[in-house]
Amino acid sequence: MRKKSLFLALLALLVGALALAAAGCGGDDDGNGNGGGEGDGGGGGVTALPSSLCSPLEYEGEGEPDLIIASDLPLQGSSRNQTIQMTEAMRQVLSDAGWKAGDLNVGYQSCDDATPQAGKWDSGKCSQNGKAYASNEDVMAVVGTFNSGCAQIIIPLLNEAPGGGVAMISPANTYVCLTTPGPACDETEPDKYYPSGTRNYIRMVAHDGYQGAALAQFMADRDIQSVFILNDKESYGLGVAENVRNAAESLGIEIAGFEAWDPKAAGYEGLMRQVGQSGADALFLGGLIDENGAQVIKDKVAVLGPNDGDVMLLAPDGFTAQATIDEAGQENAAGMFSSVAGVPPEELTGAGAEFISSFEETLGGEPIEPYSAYGAQSMQVALDAIAAAGDKDRAAIVEALLQTEVTDGILGSFGITEEGDPTSGPITIYVAGETFTTEEVITPEEDLVSAAMGG
Amino acid sequence: MMTEQQTPQQRKDEEQRLQEVIAQRTQRSAGLWRRETAVALIPLVLVIGYAIIYPFEAVYTTLREIPGIGDFFPTPGSAVIIIVFTMMAIGLNVVVGYAGLLDLGYVAFYAAGAYMAGWLASQHFEQVTFHFWSPGINPELPGIHINLWIVLLLAGIFTAVVGIVIGLPTLRLRGDYLAIVTLGFGEIVPQFVRNGDNFKGFDLTSGSFGITPIDPPGFGDGLGDGSGGLLPVNFQRSFDAEQLYYWAALGLLLFTVFCCWRLRDSRLGRAWIAIREDETAAAAMGIPLMRTKTWSYAIGAFFGGIAGAYYASFKSGAFPSDFYFNISIFLLCMVILGGMGSIWGVIIAGTILGWLNIEGLGVIGNYLNDWFFEPVTGSRIEVPKYQFGIYGIIIVTMMLFRPTGLIPERRRKLEMEEGVHDEPAMGERAVNR
Amino acid sequence: MPSGRPSLVGLLGLFFLLLIIVWLGVNFVKDPQEFINVFFVGLTRGAVYALIALGYTLVYGILQLINFAHGDVFALSGLIASSVLLSVFGVTTDSGAGLVIVAIAVALIVAMVLASTLNVTIEFVGYRRLRHAPRLAALITAIGMSFIVQNIALAIYDVDYQSIPRLIPNSSVLTIGEVALQWNKLFVLALTIPVLLALTWMVRETRHGKAMRATSQDRDASAMMGIDVNRTISFTFALAGSLAGAAGLLFLLYFTTMRYDTGFELGLIAFTAAVLGGIGNLTGAVLGGILIGLIQEFNEGLAWATPGGDWTRSIVFGILIAILVFRPSGLLGEQTPEGE
Repeated sequence: MRKKSLFLALLALLVGALALAAAGCGGDDDGNGNGGGEGDGGGGGVTALPSSLCSPLEYEGEGEPDLIIASDLPLQGSSRNQTIQMTEAMRQVLSDAGWKAGDLNVGYQSCDDATPQAGKWDSGKCSQNGKAYASNEDVMAVVGTFNSGCAQIIIPLLNEAPGGGVAMISPANTYVCLTTPGPACDETEPDKYYPSGTRNYIRMVAHDGYQGAALAQFMADRDIQSVFILNDKESYGLGVAENVRNAAESLGIEIAGFEAWDPKAAGYEGLMRQVGQSGADALFLGGLIDENGAQVIKDKVAVLGPNDGDVMLLAPDGFTAQATIDEAGQENAAGMFSSVAGVPPEELTGAGAEFISSFEETLGGEPIEPYSAYGAQSMQVALDAIAAAGDKDRAAIVEALLQTEVTDGILGSFGITEEGDPTSGPITIYVAGETFTTEEVITPEEDLVSAAMGG
Repeated sequence: MMTEQQTPQQRKDEEQRLQEVIAQRTQRSAGLWRRETAVALIPLVLVIGYAIIYPFEAVYTTLREIPGIGDFFPTPGSAVIIIVFTMMAIGLNVVVGYAGLLDLGYVAFYAAGAYMAGWLASQHFEQVTFHFWSPGINPELPGIHINLWIVLLLAGIFTAVVGIVIGLPTLRLRGDYLAIVTLGFGEIVPQFVRNGDNFKGFDLTSGSFGITPIDPPGFGDGLGDGSGGLLPVNFQRSFDAEQLYYWAALGLLLFTVFCCWRLRDSRLGRAWIAIREDETAAAAMGIPLMRTKTWSYAIGAFFGGIAGAYYASFKSGAFPSDFYFNISIFLLCMVILGGMGSIWGVIIAGTILGWLNIEGLGVIGNYLNDWFFEPVTGSRIEVPKYQFGIYGIIIVTMMLFRPTGLIPERRRKLEMEEGVHDEPAMGERAVNR
Repeated sequence: MPSGRPSLVGLLGLFFLLLIIVWLGVNFVKDPQEFINVFFVGLTRGAVYALIALGYTLVYGILQLINFAHGDVFALSGLIASSVLLSVFGVTTDSGAGLVIVAIAVALIVAMVLASTLNVTIEFVGYRRLRHAPRLAALITAIGMSFIVQNIALAIYDVDYQSIPRLIPNSSVLTIGEVALQWNKLFVLALTIPVLLALTWMVRETRHGKAMRATSQDRDASAMMGIDVNRTISFTFALAGSLAGAAGLLFLLYFTTMRYDTGFELGLIAFTAAVLGGIGNLTGAVLGGILIGLIQEFNEGLAWATPGGDWTRSIVFGILIAILVFRPSGLLGEQTPEGE
């Protein structure tokens, strides 16, 4: 036993000595900047974000990058196809811009906020990423996040980041209270996400208030008298469900019920019977297809009949993916409506249409996911803000970001409100058949939007 | 049961024998302690020293650049998470390892701690504005803002109370039934938290949206300025945030280890081990079973609560989706791999598994893909996806081939070697005949 | 044990029972036809739980081991059955009845054989070596096995839901007013009762069954009486496995959607059902399964004063805890000294 302890002691001594030597070697701070394991992407000028969180630093322009823009998306699990495509879209924007924002050379790193086991974003990972961005002096802007829950963690971290906060542009966060106060929000929202008192976050996508309003408008147009609302009890699903409820109420549609489905349950026949008993002529599913949504759709059809029959079925963008039709079966999904914030990719004009056609070439035949254009637009806005600030100065970039005005951008022309929301908010309603096809584009009235937010 | 067939004389003999054994063993363990300290002190100091200097940028970036193995060194941010989970594993070790009570719902304690931090150090309770030694936070912000160092203590106490409340009705159950009951609690607590946004209009937990942001640790303006910036006002506002979180986590870990180490040799610790080894005999020796078991729950929960609260502050959020059953299994796997009851084993296993969880599997997966899967099969596999399958294999392998763990607790190893006639692990006498 | 406790516990239990009866009564009076419809839904769901619970109870009866992996074996065999139906036979909603029946029969055989092989292997590799180890060691191993099996399913089927068309039609068999019983429910119910009867007969009357009961009572003594204990235990695992396989296919046919982790949740619920009925007791497992199914569906399907789907899991696990704390022997189990 004594021998073993001696061995352990020697081992520890060795490790300790090694560490001390390492400390001695790395004494000067600036020589060994590249923290990533694979430093082949250049990056001598900046310190890359660690390779355990992000892809290696990418830079294809001349010389060395002056600063880093990071993207923060869940690159694993069910949203993988979509998010990988978004990073491709961002790369395309960067290469179109020659990896430059004004006079500054921009490097790019794609960071992952998902864990493989969960298959979706993970709060621990989000906070780790947020801290890494904040404490890396070269990170000037973050494009992300995909999930609002993750944004709730990262926004405050970036807001309080040293040097005046890091600019953050989300292509896909739709949770209302991230930017806009409303009766449905906590009293302290959204201010609690901005502890420093200044805003550093804008988004390219219209928030759920718009989606809720458009869906309610759509129901009213189709003479729906009463709607039963289900949600999956996740922050996204519950948020949309509440917005739809508020908007529908304000349009005089009766709320027949507001309940949750348990994603882990085997079936939902009893729940659907309750929906049937309530006499509702529409059912709204606030949630994600990944939360056992296919089973919900199947049981809906089994108990309440087809979607073009007595009870209409509606869902938000969490269901607008081919997986919905594949998993629920075309015979069950057929006729269900679902919405996506923004206009469909095929209806973009000008710079947007150009981008889409060149992006299609890059992808080589793969269908374009709805959020890719948003990813591209977000990256463009980040580059513009840095160019406007003209300097590697976090505070100036944040200030420029909030002044963003997009003319003939990928998503068209729009401004950004003081709170960081885009000023235009069209919502596309799709209908499921063999695939999802566009049914209608609705731009809800401001009154209805504020009603959806609980006003 | 067996005891029913014994005559009083036999029982008396048995008790006497046990008494002797326990006395003997106590003596021996005291002797061990002295020898242990003397030899273990040097490597201990070195390891701690290494751990302290690790997060200096010069150190870890240099280590991360060593060709070949550089990826095996985690970033300080990852190291914080590793440390926090190791802390929880040490807390679980008190329950599972010392007292031999299988707890499959430890995640409930993590949740309790995290929400304590959410309640006491965020803007969640906007109805009130209460600041106490808050780390440089605008004093007009609504909500309760108590300095995290105090919150950690309160979270520990609160969680210990939760542990007692869960323990009181359930601890008299047989071992595997107790495991199932704790599993049930582990499933109920997240749902309770998820539905807790509207108790007659009162928002306790913010439901699915979670409580964000949670105040970072810090020493406040007074101490911060008074110490000339040596004690940071607020961790988050520093470029060295990750390092600061790391050192604080390391401090908490050392505190936990020290407490658990001393507890093991205390009167209470000896009582736990007696219960683990033979409950009937322990009761016969006058150890109050319920009270001793409840203490193990409370103390295990205490550390789980502290770790949970610190992690919530590090993450700056508490979400119901964070608390799933697999975390309980993950922690249990650390305890089993390290050796039930063995502090050093659990620390090492916790570090290994925590690292695998955060970075390691990805790194190893990349190596495997580069050197094996891609050349041989032509496709890459996502190794981290099979995380829990790997933990499953670890659990089964350990249980079959080395049930005492990587670094067995010395006392248990002695039992195995010298063949004291006790039930070896976790002391539950099978009642199945 | 303090003498005051049983009466207090009894009183509390009585109070809750009364509350539930009142709640069910009011719901029944308000809308009797809907009540019966929801009752059928719950009954069917409960029957599916019961089939899984039987596997838990069989294994527990003989080894006093909660075989955590059972739920995952169930899920894996259901997923494989889905592959047989979809990839091998290519069934769709339009397939002829003949093809569907052949496909289901083949899928049933494949699922049962596969699941029982897997279950026997798990016992052979894992639990056999631990037969004399403390009970918790085996329990922990079972948890590990559960994760391994789950990850096998994950490796084959990824995280996506596997979905099959509805092969057993859900059109009504008989309709009285608004009360309707559908074919797929009838199918599930008509299957569960014979399985229970056959199992009970087997355990009571056959040599294998007698060997099983003897082994569960005293392993050493039965070995001395010439019973091959290893074989008997393997046989039990094979039986439980084939039940899991059958349940997997039945689940798939009735609910039509499965995923790699379906078995974990279902396993916990089925285990709760087994405990509720009295673990080790076959009739108890079925009774418990049906009760849990009814509780879940009444909670989600009834209109008056229901806690709703938000709380279903808490209610199920609350029942599990309450039963274990207050009556560990379950509803039909004999009083044992274990919960003292």
